Amino acid sequence: MHTKRKNHPLLGIHSLLVMIFIYVPIGFIIAYSFNSSRLAADWSGFTLDWYVSLFNNRRVMEALGNTLTVAIAATVVSTLLGTLAALSIRSVGRKTKAGMGGLLYLPIIIPDIIMGLSLLVLFTQFHIPLGKLTIIIAHITFCISYVYVIVSTRLAGMGGQLEEAAQDLGANAWQTFRHVTLPQITPGIISGALIAFTMSLDDFMVSFFVSGPSSTTLPIYIYGQVKRGISPEINALCTLLILVSVTLIFLAQFVLNRGKGQKKQSVLPF
Amino acid sequence: MKKMKWAGIVLAAGLALSVLSGCGGSSKETLNIYSWADNFDADVLAAFEQEFDVRINYDVFANNEDLLAKIKAGGSGYDLIQPSDYMVATMIKQDLLAPLNKDNIPNFEYVSDSYKDPSYDPGNQYSIVYTSGVTGIAYNTKYVKAEIDSWEDLWNPEYEGKVLLLDDNREVIGMALKKAGNSNSSTDESEITSAVDDLKALLPSVLAFDTDNIKQKMIQEEGWIGTVWSGDASYIAKDNPDVAFVVPKEGGTIWSDNYAIPKGAKNQELAEKFINFMLDPENSAKNYESIGYSDPNTKAHEFHSEEYNNDKMINLSEDELSRTEWLGDVGDKLQLYDRFWTELKSGR
Amino acid sequence: MRRWRSSLGLLPVLFWLSLFLVVPMLIVVVISFMGRDEMGNVVFTFQASSYATFFDSLYLGIYWDTIVLSVVTTVLCLLFSYPLAYYIANAGPRMQTWGLALITIPFWINFLIRTYAWVLLLRTQGVVNNLLIQFGWIHEPLQLLYTKGAVLLGMVYTFIPFMVLPIYVALEQMDKRLLEAADDLGATRWKSFWHITLPQTKSGIMTGSVLVYVSTSGMFVVTDILGGAKSAMISNIIQSQFLGARNWPFGAALSVIFVITSLVLIALFNRAMTSKHLAAKEGR
Repeated sequence: MHTKRKNHPLLGIHSLLVMIFIYVPIGFIIAYSFNSSRLAADWSGFTLDWYVSLFNNRRVMEALGNTLTVAIAATVVSTLLGTLAALSIRSVGRKTKAGMGGLLYLPIIIPDIIMGLSLLVLFTQFHIPLGKLTIIIAHITFCISYVYVIVSTRLAGMGGQLEEAAQDLGANAWQTFRHVTLPQITPGIISGALIAFTMSLDDFMVSFFVSGPSSTTLPIYIYGQVKRGISPEINALCTLLILVSVTLIFLAQFVLNRGKGQKKQSVLPF
Repeated sequence: MKKMKWAGIVLAAGLALSVLSGCGGSSKETLNIYSWADNFDADVLAAFEQEFDVRINYDVFANNEDLLAKIKAGGSGYDLIQPSDYMVATMIKQDLLAPLNKDNIPNFEYVSDSYKDPSYDPGNQYSIVYTSGVTGIAYNTKYVKAEIDSWEDLWNPEYEGKVLLLDDNREVIGMALKKAGNSNSSTDESEITSAVDDLKALLPSVLAFDTDNIKQKMIQEEGWIGTVWSGDASYIAKDNPDVAFVVPKEGGTIWSDNYAIPKGAKNQELAEKFINFMLDPENSAKNYESIGYSDPNTKAHEFHSEEYNNDKMINLSEDELSRTEWLGDVGDKLQLYDRFWTELKSGR
Repeated sequence: MRRWRSSLGLLPVLFWLSLFLVVPMLIVVVISFMGRDEMGNVVFTFQASSYATFFDSLYLGIYWDTIVLSVVTTVLCLLFSYPLAYYIANAGPRMQTWGLALITIPFWINFLIRTYAWVLLLRTQGVVNNLLIQFGWIHEPLQLLYTKGAVLLGMVYTFIPFMVLPIYVALEQMDKRLLEAADDLGATRWKSFWHITLPQTKSGIMTGSVLVYVSTSGMFVVTDILGGAKSAMISNIIQSQFLGARNWPFGAALSVIFVITSLVLIALFNRAMTSKHLAAKEGR
């Protein structure tokens, strides 16, 4: 919108170093997906075998399907609920605000095992069969918090002036929300959804306890494999997932920028 | 606003895709197995599916305690589980297992006598052994030159910083108890206390506590010597031939994984048929050959490869087995074990 | 009237969290006051002995260690992340997209796999040691793994993105006119950063710090894998009470204490940050 500060070269170097720090282990994961040895220790030649056997591994594929179903469903619902909460909490009194705020922080603070076990007890008491649905419910519960926290960060910095101005100019509540508030908080919503998605993707402990037959997720599968050594198939899978995510971002960026003239748009409009 | 729409489309497409991919279920009868990861040979499982025209659904847990928490809550939906010895005892006490109908498991007769009628399940009412092993010392002969035959050797200062211990309360304290000539399941407070003091003296030498990845640590020569299960030692030795294994003269802890059926299982009969199928000598040989654990099936030996039959770490000698002891229930002393274990694990 | 109506938006969340969070948590609180039998089954008696057990140098010490490690991790994450978030927020739109994508992509890789990758790097025959030896900086491999340093590294590595995202969100939306005004008034870059940018992004710092602190203190896998399971954290203990030791009341009591102290710490931190913010404003 306004002039950006020009970045100091030292900042660039620092950022590059942090990125290298983040990506060195990931480079290793990718490299070892092409390693012909089963052991993740020595390099013994290039192979694509792990990719072939990955696609023939029914259990990994099922686990991947379950993981994505759960993550997407949990992200959609928790993003809606979390955003709604962040928006609404502004219009309640201070005491209610503090109470609700604390409640919304709880799922992040509660140790995973407590959440997993207590939900397991709850579901079995109410005879809700364990499966994908129970995992989705559990994930929504902790994902709401992440969305709420990030969206409120955005709202906190926004202030109410623009909304007030819109209403003074005769906009109704919906118009104000649609044309003033929503565009402002979209970056927060997307960041929140991203964190929610990745938290769901990576959750082991809670999922483990509330899962039932045929609802094994990828983390559950991988934790189980630790006992016998994690197969490089998993490295191959990770590599493919990175490829998919990069491609998605790249495609979306391309489509958005087409025909926009000079004004470059960011797909992840954080 | 465009951006939002895009995010929406991507999410919706993903959701649709994953829901579609999840809907491949058939109406076949399903056997729900809950076990350790990669605990069966995939071909043998497929053969069972074909012969009985059923579908096997195989989910995994990572340790006995997780399994217990899940089964105890009830309604887990599993037909066949694989608890270890002491967990079988615990589950029987808590009334979580269904008695096995041996009429459906005629192949039970092939199970070696040494694994029939175990102390944790007298008369095999609720469980049948699946595989078994002994906790001993694995050591890398490249670094460990002395002859190893006693738990005492772990305390040798030459191996400081290179000792690996199982990340298991009862196994490790039990080891120190055995070293002092006591039962690995002692409930005598002074015996337990002195065993723990002994372990505290060992702490500075300990590189890591690990159960799941101890194999990798031995193979990659991070650790030189440690408490390792015999089956894992065999696995390690295949990748690092310098590693040797011994059951110390004071004796070690013997353990087993078992077949059991949780109370209220929907397909008990099918689960029993599965156990019987796995105990068929030929299937048994094929299965254990592939997973590399010890095969308790006496009739299966003729179908095993020479390599398997000659593996001393899979097929322990009578002499070694005679020095072993099962972990027994320690009742409320478990709290004492746990407290001491916490002290050891936090270096206090 | 409108305010009352818009607060209705809290109802779905309130309903959801009551059902799937408050009710289960109440069960946990109730269990923490009960006893147990020899089998580890929870017995219905009222007692507070589980709480008394916590006040023992053993458990207090472990909790203290956990808090120290979490605070150090949070501070390090902040130091690494703020400049990075700042850089991304001030980069061109294309760089911004890719910068943020690069921050989130690691999440697509299973956490356990990411952590094991560090084992490969840090082990005695690993890449780091080999490089150091090749450069001639050391002669014998260093014991990098299974140390407190390795645990800290793993924690910082895992949680940097949790810090970058909220700070970025705050930086990106701050009112840049203030900076222009400061420039016009001849303020140095450092001065305008200190007096304008930093206070304006406090909400991001707060959110990031809370996320990192809470996640670190609840983490136990990193201590097991990179620390060799030698320095138990409070969550390791909670875990073992529910599973191995089968002492649910004590595990529940530990959880209740853990949740309450975390909430109190967050509230204190919030207060400290807000009051400082006000002071800065008044001083100007």
